[in-house]
This record gives sequence, structure tokens and C-alpha cells, in this order.
Amino acid sequence: MNNTMERGTIKVDVRKYQYENGIDDTLRDLNFDIKKGEFVGLMGRTGAGKTTTLMLLNGLIPHFFEGDFDGTVFSNSMNTLRYRVQTLSRFVGCVMQDPETQIFGITVEKDVAFGPSNLAIEKSRIAEIIDESLDVVGLNGYKYRISTELSGGEKQRLTIAGILAMEPEILVLDEPTSELDPEGRKEIYKLLKKLVNEKNVTVFISGHDSEEMREFTDRIIVLDKGTVVWNGLPEVLFNDKELAEKYGIMPIDKNSDELAQSNMIVETQLIKEDLSKEEKIIIEAKDLSYEYENGRQALKNINLKIYEGEFVSLIGKNGAGKTTFSKQINGLLKPKNGTILINGFDIKNNSTAELSKEIGYVFQNPDHQIFSSTVYDEVEYGLKRLKLTENEREERVKDALDFVGLSNQNKRHPFTLGKGERQKLAVASILAMKPKILVIDEPTTGQDWNGTKRMMEIMKKLNSEGTTLITITHNLKLALEYSDRIIKFSDGKVESNFINKKVIKENVN
Amino acid sequence: MLIEYYPQGSFIHRLDVRTKILGFFVITAASFCFENPLINFLIIILLWFMLSSMNSPMSKVYGIIKSLLPIFLIMLIITGFTYPASKFGYEENKRIIFSLLPNNGMPLTTGGLYYGLTLVLRIFVMVFASSIITFSTSIEDILQFLKKIKMPHQLAFVIATGIRFIPTMQAKSEMIREAQMARGAEFGKGGIVKKIKSYIPVLIPMIVDSIRMSDNLAIAMLNRGFGSMKNTTNLTEIKMKSIDYLICVITLVLLMIVLYAKSKNIGAL
Repeated sequence: MNNTMERGTIKVDVRKYQYENGIDDTLRDLNFDIKKGEFVGLMGRTGAGKTTTLMLLNGLIPHFFEGDFDGTVFSNSMNTLRYRVQTLSRFVGCVMQDPETQIFGITVEKDVAFGPSNLAIEKSRIAEIIDESLDVVGLNGYKYRISTELSGGEKQRLTIAGILAMEPEILVLDEPTSELDPEGRKEIYKLLKKLVNEKNVTVFISGHDSEEMREFTDRIIVLDKGTVVWNGLPEVLFNDKELAEKYGIMPIDKNSDELAQSNMIVETQLIKEDLSKEEKIIIEAKDLSYEYENGRQALKNINLKIYEGEFVSLIGKNGAGKTTFSKQINGLLKPKNGTILINGFDIKNNSTAELSKEIGYVFQNPDHQIFSSTVYDEVEYGLKRLKLTENEREERVKDALDFVGLSNQNKRHPFTLGKGERQKLAVASILAMKPKILVIDEPTTGQDWNGTKRMMEIMKKLNSEGTTLITITHNLKLALEYSDRIIKFSDGKVESNFINKKVIKENVN
Repeated sequence: MLIEYYPQGSFIHRLDVRTKILGFFVITAASFCFENPLINFLIIILLWFMLSSMNSPMSKVYGIIKSLLPIFLIMLIITGFTYPASKFGYEENKRIIFSLLPNNGMPLTTGGLYYGLTLVLRIFVMVFASSIITFSTSIEDILQFLKKIKMPHQLAFVIATGIRFIPTMQAKSEMIREAQMARGAEFGKGGIVKKIKSYIPVLIPMIVDSIRMSDNLAIAMLNRGFGSMKNTTNLTEIKMKSIDYLICVITLVLLMIVLYAKSKNIGAL
């Protein structure tokens, strides 16, 4: 029966797969086919089994992650049970989530060559392959660049080039755009579309990017609880708000973009008139400049006021200066020129530890801060530095966990929580310190639509209780929905400073 | 690493890694053959010329030398006082400058001082000579050399990947430090126990992250076909050019001269 199968096709028929640890997502009755040259998106909430499904296709499951496997998978007409991962990888290229751990070469050129040299391809041919692959991903001229010095988007392209260099028939990508700005995201999808059109490569990609998925893919497969729950045309899925939200997918409002634009006023003056009467300035940057050690001018003469109780979104491309600016607020970086005033005081002589009592900062990756063996201890860590009694600490931990909705988890080990839960834990551990100003860097990275909405609701509630909130985000839609003001950074400067009319109106009513 | 590769197109940069390593051994051997500080000083001048011809960042080299200064001083004093005069062939080297103890006990001899100076200069030679290699040779060339001396491919791969990940791990530890500082962590304050304890919030996420990364790396290696073939393609084949052979011959002739001189007791104290 398999003789009829073409190269470049996928046929999955898995009755069951469970990881050895028994914790991670289990697959059950998973069936689907993909034709040669199709561009298919894989969507669904976090924990639905997307990564697990993708790892079936080049045999990582069941060869690398052994577990309890019952079923057959044909990738490129090869039964994955009969071939080693290394052999399958010549035909089925897999780009995994974290680009950092997929780059082996010290230079771009060496990295692209890693795959083909493992396949013992002739040296002269490898030289051609390097140029071709870099050309496809738009990294021409990067050959001799040091790979660790590339930006996030460039690294992502490099990992794709590294896989393309092996000339696979099927290309599988696991959330390759989660850390990119909207422009970078679109570039990746465009590049994949080009591969499908010009080289007839089969592309199977997972992610939460509703807009790009609708624009570029031929078909969407939706997973929930380890099985396929929907399979069809992108337009149908995204236009059906109820259906999409049911599976944790962001629906697309038809005219959301135009609507969004009309809600904004491009007048900075307005903010002063509207707010300065009653509101107190809590953060003020005066002629703020910052330069990194490598000489990159990350902030150029920033003048900015943020008022008490505001909910501000900082937007802009990767490298525009959003994070560099936020790190000035809690003293992680000190201005090279100019001053930053918090509550009217110059903070140039205050350490981050001192400032942490007033200014909370939640980083993008919760795993960079979690180190305790229970959820409770993790939240308590920051409190131990404040002079509080044991009872006060206990109360604050309880309140913070309640606030983010983790109160029944306080004895659990943080690393058994899902990614969304760990993000909430990171927020709780800062909330417990009761900061007056809270900075949250990319609160929704890699989260599904439900997780994103829940996180935004938490932030909204905090803000309504009086905390000044500053969030760095790539998601303009969320920024418009929740924040009072949107500040756009570009090339180290404040490019625009919008007040969000819709929110102001709500406040007046 | 203390010293890293500085890509420049100098004559020494273009030499084969093997030529450079042979040169390194011959120069160190010469330095060890001669006890006379004057000859060692001449070797250093030669090396200094080589370093400057390569446009090397000399401040890095001086930085290392500077950190070694106290050791140099101790070496000079100890050898100066402890070398018995009878060890030296030449009369003028047996001269005692003064003695620490009565009856010529613990004498400071001219020869002892010279010998101490030679020991110090030998360290200079090694710092200079190894800097020449590291400044002028890329990691790839060094790995090729390791392969040529039959180091297993896997081991060479581990070394290369390790080097590739040094900046990544530095960046990770910086991110973790910042995340903990934002929660009020202060590092390296208080007594020794407190000091060590203060780093736990950095160490644990670092370890957890490394384990996760190593798993991901293993997957990524499989995805790139690592181990699918017995042989892999050698991308940069290091090649001895005629200039390399010429330099090697000259170097070996120099080695002969050094050994001959040594047998004639030239350069002894």
C-alpha cells in the first residue's frame, strides 16, 4: 500500500504516544496526511501536542524520546521506525524552537556547512550550497560573520539556512517566529512560501501567528489534547471567532487594522493637556542617551514622561531601544548622558536592588529567574530582602499567587508547571514586592491566545489597582486593546507617542 | 581564553599552523638551551618584532606580563640567593655581591641573578611565542591541526562547540543576573558563606538552562545529520605552501645551530 506514496508526503497514523516521564503532552488517535508541496500550519493551545507531533516526522519520536509509542509515521514515504534520525534528517529537515541551540558554527558559513559536511558531500558542492542557502534566507554577504553576533531574526534565518543546506524534501518548523517582531515574522513566512512555490518543498509549521498563517498557508491542522480536532482552509478557521477561540487560537477581525488606526491620535501634546492636570509624573527621562560597550548607540536623546497609574506599551522593532530604555528605569543600565527621574528623584546613584522595592521588572524568559524548589519559596525570595515579619510575608505570597491564579499550586515544583504558568509565577514573584511601577518585557511570548488574554487581564487588574504598568510588546493589537498610551521606539529614538483614544473614552465614562 | 584570534593578513597569519607550531617549539627549545640572559633577551627582541609585524594588540600581551610581575620578582630573589657559586663555569659569575648570613651564608651571586633573569625571560619567551600563535591562527586551523595529529572527530567537535558556546553562556549568565537583581538580589556581599549563597539564584537557573540546552543541542545535531556517515567533509584543509617548507627548513637549521652552540658551552653561565 505504501508503494503509491510519493516523496515529500507525510502520513501520520498514531494511536498513542506518551513520554517516558508521563508529564508532557500525550498524543492519542492522531491522523493526518500532507501532500507534496503543501504549506500547512499546525495550531492549537500550548500543551496541545504540537512540538510532539512535529518530532514524529523525523523520528525524534520514538528514537530520541522513547516513551510509549503505538502507530506508524511515513515521512517522505519512509517509515520512521525503520530509519535513524540522522538518515531521516537528510529528507525531513527540522527547525526547532530555540535558534541558539541550533547554531554550531563559529561563523555563518561554517554553520551552514555543518549539515552537508556530516553527509560527506563534496567540498566544492558544499561551497555552492552555502551560497544558495544563504541566498534563499536573505543572508547574502553574511558568510564570514561571527554567528553569536547576529540578531535574533538573523539567527532564526541562519537555522533555516542550515537545514535547507541539507536539501530536504520536507521542511518542518516549530514556532520559528515566536521571538521576532511582526516584520521579521512576515519575512520568515514569505521565505517559506517562496520555497514551496519555487522548489516544491513541503512545509509544515507550528505557531500562534494567526495573521501570517491566514495569509500564507494552504491549510491549517488544529490540535487539542493530542489529537486533530479541526483540519481545513485558513479563511474558514480565522473568520469563525467562536471556533478559533475554542481551541486557543487568536481570531482575526476583518478590519481590525484600520479600526486600530482610527483609535489613535498622533498628538503628544494631547497627553499633557489631558493628563498633567491631575496625574503626577512618575518617570521622567531627560535627554537620555545610552551607548553599549561595542559602541552601538542604543538610545539617543530620549525625552519622555510617564504618569502615575498609566498603562504604557512600548512597541518597535527588535533592537529599536525598548528594552534598553526599560532597563534604565530600574538601574540595570545607567544613562551615558542625561538623567532619569523616578518620582522626581535622580536614580543615578541607586542600585537595582534598592530600586527593586519600588520598581518591579519581569523578564521575557521566566526560566532565567526561577530557582526555588517550590512555587511558594520562589515568590518569597524577593520578600526576604524587605524587612517584613513572617506573617506579612506569608500573606503577601498568598495574595500574589491568588492574583495570578496559582494559589492552589504553592507546593509544586516550578519546573513541572507549563510555560504560561511559569510566566505567571515570575509575575507573582515580582507582585509580592508590591512595586509602584511594573515593567513587563514581552508578557505573552510563545503563549497561546488564552494564555495571552489571561496575562493581559492580570495586567489590567493590577493597573486598575494603581500600579503604573509598562509593557514591551510586539503585539499592536493587544497594546491597543489594553494600554492608555503607546510609545513607538525606532533606532534609539521615540518615533511616536500615541494616546489611545478608546481607553481614554472608557475612563471618562 | 586570555588571548584570542586577531584576523590580519600578515605574513605570519598566512603561514600554516604546523609551521607556526614548529617555530614555537624551536624557539622555546633555544630559550631553554641558553642560560645567558643576553641571548634570551635577543630572542625576545626577535619575537617582539614578529608580534609587531602582525599588528597585534600589544596591550593584551603586556596585561599578562604585568599580572606575572610579582612572580618574576620572587623568582629573581630566590634564584639569586640560592644558586651556589660553584655551579657557574665563569669566574665573574661566581662573584658574591653580598651575603644575608655571616660566613658567606645565603650569598647573592652575579650568576644567580643572571640565571634568575633567564628564568624570567623564558616566561616572556613563552608568553610572546604563544601569543603569536593564538593571535595569528583561527580556531578552525587549530582544530584541523588536532585532527591531523589524529584526535577523534567527535572530540574535536566537542572542543569547537564548546568554544562556540562561550559567548552564549556569558550572555545567559548576564540575563539571569539581571533578572535576579531586579528582584533585589545582591551578589558577593557579606561573609564568605553569605557570599557563596548569594550566587545560588544565578547558579541554579544556569544549570537548569544548560541541561535543557544540551538536550536541544543533541536534537539539533541529529537534525543536521551528525553521525550519519563514517566520514565527514573536511571544509578547511590546511595546506603547507612552499614558503612553509622554506621556513621549516630554516627553523630546523637554526635548531641545529642552537644544539651545536649548546654542545660547545656557548651561552652557559
